[in-house]
Amino acid sequence: MILALVVVTALGFDFTNGFHDTGNAMATSIATGALKPRVAVALSAVLNLAGAFLSVAVALTVTNAVVHIQQKDGTPSPSLTADGGHQLLMLVLGGLIGAIVWNLLTWLLGLPSSSSHALFGGLIGAAIAALGWHGVNWVGDGTKLDGVVGKVILPAVLSPVVACIVAAAGTWMVYRIVLGVAARFTDNGFRWGQIGTASLVSLAHGTSDAQKTMGVITLALIASGHWHSTTSIPVWVKLACALAIATGTYLGGWRIIRTLGKGLVEIEPPQGMAAEASSAAVILASSHLGFALSTTHVATGSILGTGLGKPGAEVRWAVAGRMVMGWLLTLPAAAIVGAAMYGIGHVCGDVGGPVVDVAIMLGLAGYIYLRSRRSAVGAHNVNDEWEGMPASGAAVSAPELTSGGVA
Amino acid sequence: MNALGHDVRFTLEAIWKVLLVSVILGAGLPAIFALGIRSLAWGTPAEGSARHDGTAAMGASSAAGRVVAGMLFLVVLYCVAAAIVFIIATGKGDDISFAHVIPTIKTKG
Repeated sequence: MILALVVVTALGFDFTNGFHDTGNAMATSIATGALKPRVAVALSAVLNLAGAFLSVAVALTVTNAVVHIQQKDGTPSPSLTADGGHQLLMLVLGGLIGAIVWNLLTWLLGLPSSSSHALFGGLIGAAIAALGWHGVNWVGDGTKLDGVVGKVILPAVLSPVVACIVAAAGTWMVYRIVLGVAARFTDNGFRWGQIGTASLVSLAHGTSDAQKTMGVITLALIASGHWHSTTSIPVWVKLACALAIATGTYLGGWRIIRTLGKGLVEIEPPQGMAAEASSAAVILASSHLGFALSTTHVATGSILGTGLGKPGAEVRWAVAGRMVMGWLLTLPAAAIVGAAMYGIGHVCGDVGGPVVDVAIMLGLAGYIYLRSRRSAVGAHNVNDEWEGMPASGAAVSAPELTSGGVA
Repeated sequence: MNALGHDVRFTLEAIWKVLLVSVILGAGLPAIFALGIRSLAWGTPAEGSARHDGTAAMGASSAAGRVVAGMLFLVVLYCVAAAIVFIIATGKGDDISFAHVIPTIKTKG
C-alpha cells in the first residue's frame, strides 16, 4: 500500500518536473515565435521522452548527495529497512510531497525554480525529521564535491552567473556580426538556430531529470524487497518515468514559460539562439566535469545574459529578484513541507500515515489548481505584453510575494 | 582544511573549466553561426537600403558566400552532432571519444 503511494507520488513529482522545466528549453522559441506554443511543447515532450529512454545508467545513488539513507552501492541503509522498509518509504514519501507542493506553488506564482532542489529540499526535511541533523550530508568528505554545500548551494550560486556571462558574450558577438545584414537572412537563420539549440536542452533535460525519479522509485522497490539489483532498474519504472516527464512537459508550464520568455527580457531571435546555446553548453560541460547543477538556474542565467549582452535591451530586475528569492526559499520551504509530512505520517500510524500524507498533498494540489484558474495562462495568451496585464500569471503574484505571502 | 573548505575548492576548480568550455562552445558556436548567416548575405544590399522606386532592395547571395556559409554551418553541425553523442553517452554512463575525428561513445572503465 505505502509502496504504491510512493511510486504514484514519485511519478507525480516527475510530472511536475516536466511542466516546471518546459520553459527552460522552449520559453525563448515561444517568445520569439520561432515555434508555435503547441508545437514547441510537443517537440520538447518528444525529446524529453527520447532523453529519458536514453538514460540507461542507473542513478540509484541520487539521494546520497544530500541525505544518509543509502549505502555507497545504492542499497538502503539497513537501519532504515529493519521494519520492512516502512521508515525509508515514509521518508521518501515526505520528501516527494515537499518537492511537489513547492513545485506547484512556484508554478502558480510563475516562478522558474529548480525541481531537483525541491526534491533535495524535501528529502533533507524528511531526513531531519526522521533521523535528526546527522541524517543530512551537509558537506563533502574532502575527497570529492559532495553534500548539500557542494552539490546544491555552491552550484546554485555560481551556475547562473556562468550561464549569464556565456550568453551575454554570445549575444554581444552575434549582434556585432550580423549588424546590417538584411532581416530576410537573419530571421530564418536564427529561427533554425533557436530550434536546434532548444532541442539540445530538452534532450539533455530528459536524460538527467527522468533518471532522478527512476532512482528514487527503484530505491523504494529495493527497500520494500520488491527489487534486488543495484545495477539495473525495472522496465516498467523506466517506461512510467519517461511518460510522466513527457506528459508533464507537453502540458507546458505556461505560467513559467511566460515569465522566462516575456517577463525577464524582451527576446529577439538572435538572443533566443544565444541563450539556448549557452544553456546547452553549460549543462553539457558541467555534466562532463561532474559538476551538479540545475537546468532552471542555467536557463534563467542565460536569458538574463542575453538581455545584458544586447546593447540597449531592458532587463526587468524586479522579476529577476523575485526569481532569486524563489531559489533561496526552494530548499528550506520544500524541507519544511517534507519534515511536516514525515511527522504527520509518523503520528497517524503505519497504514493511516501515508494515506493522510497523500490526501493532504492532493488537497493542496487541488487548491493551487483552483487558484490558478482565476488567472489562467495558456498557449493563447503566453506571449501577451508583460506590462499592464495585471490579470495574467506572474504579474498578479507580485504583490503577494512582496507582502511576504510566499509559503 | 575543513570539509567546507574542500567543497569550495573543488567547486572553484570545476567552475572555471565549465566557464572556459562554455564560453568557447556556448558563445563561440553562435558567433560562427552568425558569421555563416553574414556570409549568405554577401553581395546583397544591407538592411535599410531601398531601390529608387521605394521597394525594399533584394539580391541573391553570392556563390562564394554560400560556400563559406556552408563550411561554417558544417562546423556548427559537427559540434551539435558531438553534443548529441555526448548526451547519449552520458545516459549510458559512458564517455565521449573524438578518436578519428568522428565523435563516438567510449565505454568508461
